[in-house]
Amino acid sequence: MKHVLFLFTLLVINAPLFAQKSDSCIYEMRGIILDADTREVLQYVAVNIEGTEHFSLTDPNGEFLIKKLCNSSNALTISCLGYCDTTCQHFNEYSEKSTIYLKKEKNYLNTITITAARIKEAGTASISQRSLDKEVLSIDPNQSLAAAISKVEGVTFTSTGNNVQMPVIHGLYGNRVLILNNGIKHGFQNWGSDHAPEIDISSANRVTVLKGAAGVRYGPEALGGAIIVEGNPLRLAQQFEAKVGTGYQTNGKGYFVNSEISQGLDKWSYHLGTKYSRIGERYTPDYLLTNSSKEERALNGGLRYHLNDLDFKIYYSYLNQNLGLLRASIANSGTAFIKAINSNEPIIINEFSYNINQPNQLVQHHLGKIEINWRYADDAKLMLRLGSQLNKREEYDVRRNADLPIIDLDIVTNEIQLDWKHPAWFELNGLVGLQMFTQNNDNNSGTQTTPFIPNYNTFRFSAFGIESFKKYKSTFELGIRLDHEYNNVRGRETSQNIFRDNYSFTNLTTSLGYILQFSDNTSFRSNLATAWRTPNMAELYSYGQNGFKTSFGLLRYYTDDNENGALRTDKVVDLEESNISPEKGYKWINEWIKQKKKNTYTITVYTHYIQNFIFNRPLGVIGTIRGPMPVFINDQADALFTGADLSWQKEWSDAINGTLGISYLWSKNLKKDEALINQPPIKINYQLDWKIKTFSKATSSQLSLKPSYLFKQFNAPRTIQTEDLIDGSVPITKDSKIFDFKDTPSGYLLFDIAWQLESEKIKTGISIQNVFNTRYRNYLNEMRYFADEPGINILLSINYFFNIKSN
Amino acid sequence: MKVFNYFNKFSLIAFFSIGVLVTGCKDDDVPDEENELEVITDVKLIFTNDADATDVVEASAQDPDGEGVEELEILGEITLDADKTYTLTYEIFNNLESPGEDIGAEIQEEDDEHQLFYSFTANAFANPTGDGNIDSASDPINYNDNDGNGNSLGLSTSWTTSSTTISGGTFAVRLQHQPDVKTASSGATDGDTDFDLQFVLNIQ
Repeated sequence: MKHVLFLFTLLVINAPLFAQKSDSCIYEMRGIILDADTREVLQYVAVNIEGTEHFSLTDPNGEFLIKKLCNSSNALTISCLGYCDTTCQHFNEYSEKSTIYLKKEKNYLNTITITAARIKEAGTASISQRSLDKEVLSIDPNQSLAAAISKVEGVTFTSTGNNVQMPVIHGLYGNRVLILNNGIKHGFQNWGSDHAPEIDISSANRVTVLKGAAGVRYGPEALGGAIIVEGNPLRLAQQFEAKVGTGYQTNGKGYFVNSEISQGLDKWSYHLGTKYSRIGERYTPDYLLTNSSKEERALNGGLRYHLNDLDFKIYYSYLNQNLGLLRASIANSGTAFIKAINSNEPIIINEFSYNINQPNQLVQHHLGKIEINWRYADDAKLMLRLGSQLNKREEYDVRRNADLPIIDLDIVTNEIQLDWKHPAWFELNGLVGLQMFTQNNDNNSGTQTTPFIPNYNTFRFSAFGIESFKKYKSTFELGIRLDHEYNNVRGRETSQNIFRDNYSFTNLTTSLGYILQFSDNTSFRSNLATAWRTPNMAELYSYGQNGFKTSFGLLRYYTDDNENGALRTDKVVDLEESNISPEKGYKWINEWIKQKKKNTYTITVYTHYIQNFIFNRPLGVIGTIRGPMPVFINDQADALFTGADLSWQKEWSDAINGTLGISYLWSKNLKKDEALINQPPIKINYQLDWKIKTFSKATSSQLSLKPSYLFKQFNAPRTIQTEDLIDGSVPITKDSKIFDFKDTPSGYLLFDIAWQLESEKIKTGISIQNVFNTRYRNYLNEMRYFADEPGINILLSINYFFNIKSN
Repeated sequence: MKVFNYFNKFSLIAFFSIGVLVTGCKDDDVPDEENELEVITDVKLIFTNDADATDVVEASAQDPDGEGVEELEILGEITLDADKTYTLTYEIFNNLESPGEDIGAEIQEEDDEHQLFYSFTANAFANPTGDGNIDSASDPINYNDNDGNGNSLGLSTSWTTSSTTISGGTFAVRLQHQPDVKTASSGATDGDTDFDLQFVLNIQ
């Protein structure tokens, strides 16, 4: 199950040489060697570990095995008559078996492609997934995690302005998508659409997107998928490396600097990274987005100690962000909101500045992790992981007391994970685990307003088991998990009266996966999984204004039977007395991958049925003492999501490679037989990469063209003008058909160009986003009510690598 | 067994961490009570006849659940006699708290950050003339009170009705919160709106 498919391709040109002595000669290396053109296996190919006596010939199946290697990272020399002698570096830690493609000598000199199969996490092998490695992520270290992964088919992001972006997988976001930050569930204020995960992508070595329900492995919030962010792998026997990078972007006059050092010795390894970035107010093609500046500081570091069978890792990261939100999104009165939403341009536009005023978010995130791996047998391992996180969030709003935060929360998350990868047992390979998760959320006093989110404590105890079984070309994977969650909530009503609630859930999550590897070139995988999720605190308890919205949680409104079913918000309903249930999801995702000559086709088809799906929707416009204000409520209904992702990769020539991606999603509220709001529209994108002949000292150069088209979302609620809501000419009740305040934006074509040049020490890039300065609005951006998206942006970046030989 | 020693040491750390987590679970803290300054539930306009203190006309606006979903209610019309001079004063409360909080007193305290603006059916009054200062801040309104900087506040204003009768006219009042914004010339769209209310005006 572990030697499946290429997830990333490395082009190795000059592999560094390692000649180090170590006591722990426990590594082994397997691989298969194929002809790059015909995909035929090659036998009698000599594989030699550079600088050692280790040597092997491939067998009639093209496979080789070299044992008792002392380093986890090795350079291979591969020689075979008629093919080039070649050298490549093998990453033993990431693959148990690599496929190496040799190209005929007469055609190509000195290049080979290693397609290393990344080991998929147990319990996720049958789920469609994509990884982005550092190469791709480092092109624009200023972008958000969500924006970085949105190039994956079926993945997009929802945003509140330019600085707050959250990943969306197959139409689901927020705490239906679990974010695993260095093995720890990222613990933050994961509610609403205006809280982005506080992760600096320049610290990530790889980001993997799981598009199926991965709840068995990772817990309840992986109902819609998971995003796995991995930091520096802390390799041993790695020479000292240092990198400094800097960049400038024209839109917003933004700049960043980052640096990274790392070194791996025989038993020790460490890395340290820092980043600072600042972007001023962004321009749309026609005007400035006032108060869209952002500032970010990040630090991360890791330490590893390797002792025989034991391996210890410590990791710490810190992120500090100050994120501005569009000033014009906060209406100073009801009439101003109507003016803002009807205006073609934001109603407040000031001179350019880097300053960040209200509304803004100040966030600090600390994450600490200790991980101990004990590989007590060749095929068995115990892993203990302890994680601790502190997330401090202050949000400021345009209001009386604007200098005081309107939201001031500290959330402490602790997690313990114990995993046992058991030895193979009757052909069963598996992992069993125990997890404990606690979260403590506290409001800091002094906001001069009733807390939007109550204080709460969450405890969750979980046990899971995942077993896989391989027979011929088929692999079966079965997973089961039991969670018990307890929540204790203490909040305040606007009268300042205290409300309390306690509730607990016990839920079973299951997953069934199947992989059929027809051949090296064709595979099929299918995963059927159930998952569940408790409503988050905002979905249950939010009350009142946050940003431009006045929003009510599921337990904050009820219909009063004594008053003809009128909607009331004057008390907090106990969860037990309410008809609110946790979400339950059933996701079936299938993926078929076929490689044929120079084409690779990937088709992913999925259906996701969610019982008690919770969503935030407009309720109407309600008269207040400040004038008429737009009101949203959280609602619950059974919903269906179904769709397909398609990708077609073609090598047009040796130098030109193209990838077409199409993402399609259709969703529906089954209870009311109507569209859901804020669902991603159809997306088509193409990326053409052209490897340009290099000159002088440059080792590689690549030009990429990236056109993409986003359709208008046709499957969207109707629009009702705010004026009609205010004067009552379109009467609306809680049970009326869903509507939106503004039409969905039209479709748009965007065009990006990127050029990268690499030499041994320097890597530089220029990318131009929105080349034609297209004027557009993004349906998944809440600021679509008020402003356009940014126009053309030219981003320049340069990275310098210092390589200091350690001996 | 060296390995087991290490393992013991780390299981101890794990055990200790669990201990910390479990003790961390016991807290039962409630968010501190906040002095809610955002909410206004009741605004009462009081027109007192300058010539007869017992001749009082009141109209009020009430949103009993504040930010809640209940609609704002305008209670009563402003019905004034022709050719009389009235002084308009206010009672402004947040009645979600008990006892209700006098927001009017807070506005008085923060007089340099607030101003009331008016708009009404044109020529409903002999003094001030015109249609009020919401559309144009320099239009006449007879403010009786000033902040420390000598700028108008508007918790007390004077109104002399015209001699012609009006039925079903409008009288709108808007309280703007203007921290660091308020000047002699700042207007009804500067700063943020604390309330924005419209009443029916009759002059008989």
